[in-house]
Amino acid sequence: MTDEGHEGVVATAEGDAERAIERAEDRLPSEMTTPAPGLLPGELRPHPTPVQYVTVAVVLVVITAIEIATSYTEGTIPDAVIVVLLLGMAFVKFFLVAAWYMHLRTDAPLFRRFFILGAVAAVLLYLIVLTTLHALS
Amino acid sequence: MAAVEQVEQGAPPAVPTEPAHTDAQATHSGVISPKLGMWLFLSSDCLFFGAFIATFLLYRDRPGQKGPTPADVFDIPFTSVTSFILLMSSLTMVLALAAIQRGDHRRFRTWIMATALFGATFIGGQIFEFTQFTREGLNLDTNLFGSSFFVLTGLHGAHVTVGIIWLLSLWGLSMQGRIGQHQSEAIEIAGLYWHFVDVVWIVIFTVIYLIPK
Repeated sequence: MTDEGHEGVVATAEGDAERAIERAEDRLPSEMTTPAPGLLPGELRPHPTPVQYVTVAVVLVVITAIEIATSYTEGTIPDAVIVVLLLGMAFVKFFLVAAWYMHLRTDAPLFRRFFILGAVAAVLLYLIVLTTLHALS
Repeated sequence: MAAVEQVEQGAPPAVPTEPAHTDAQATHSGVISPKLGMWLFLSSDCLFFGAFIATFLLYRDRPGQKGPTPADVFDIPFTSVTSFILLMSSLTMVLALAAIQRGDHRRFRTWIMATALFGATFIGGQIFEFTQFTREGLNLDTNLFGSSFFVLTGLHGAHVTVGIIWLLSLWGLSMQGRIGQHQSEAIEIAGLYWHFVDVVWIVIFTVIYLIPK
C-alpha cells in the first residue's frame, strides 16, 4: 500500500468514527446526551456527552478487534501491508483517545501543540536513532 | 481532524455556556496552570517512552541471543484481553469526569473506583505475564530482548500503578466529601495522566506484540 493509500485509509476511518459518534445521540436520557454545564479556562467548547464517550469506546474496541485479527494474517499477506495496517489503526486509536477522551478537540490549541510537539519529536528522534544504528550494524 | 481545525480557526462554541464555577485559576494565556503543567509532563513522557520503545526495537532481533524470543513467549490472546481492560478504563475515567462535572458524586465514585479496578486488573495480568515468561526462561538478564521488554513494560506498569494510587486517593477524598463539583479540573488532570498511560499502551501493544517480527 502506498503512503497516499495509507493516509486515505486513516482519514476514512477517522471520518467514519466521527460520523458514528454524531449519529449515536438519540433515545437516551438527557444527562447522557448533554455536555456537563460550564466551561473551564482553556476550554473552547463543551466536553463530549457520555453517549459520545461510549460511542468512542465502541469504535476503539472494534478497531482493536480488527488489529488483532490482522496480526493473525501473518504469512497470508505481505508483512509490509500488515505493518502499515497495524500502524494506521494504532494511529486512529491514539487520535480518538487524545481528541475525545483527553479533550484536545475542545480545549485550547496550546495543549494540542505541546502534545503534538512531544509525540512528533519522539517519533522523529527515535526513527533517526533506529535508522542510524541499524545502518551501522 | 476537521473538528480540531474548526476549533483552531476560532469557530464559536457549539453550545454557548456560562463559565463553570471553579477553583481553577487561569494563567495569562487563558489556560489552567496545573493542566498546562500536566500537558508539558505528558509531552516529555512521550520522549521517555519513545526511548524505551526504540531500545526494544533495536535489541529485540539482535543476532546471537540465547534464550526465548518474542515468538516463543508472547501470548497475544491474553495480552489482547488486558489491553481491552485498559481501554475500557479510559471510558470509565471520562464517565467519572462527566459525573463530577454534573455534581453526581455517587456516580463519580462508582466510575473512579471502576477505573482503578480495571487498572489493577491490568497490572494483575502483567504480573501473571511476567511470571509466565520467567517460567519459560525469560528473565531481565537472559538476553537483550528480555532486558528491553521487561524494562519497557515494567515502566509502563509503574505508570499505571501510580495512576491507580492517584485514582484511589481521589476516591478516598470524595468519600470524605473533600472533592466538589468546582474541583473537576483536578479530576480532569488525573484523567489526562490515565489516558496517556492508555495511549502509550496502544503503541506498545501494536509495536511490541502485534507487528510481525
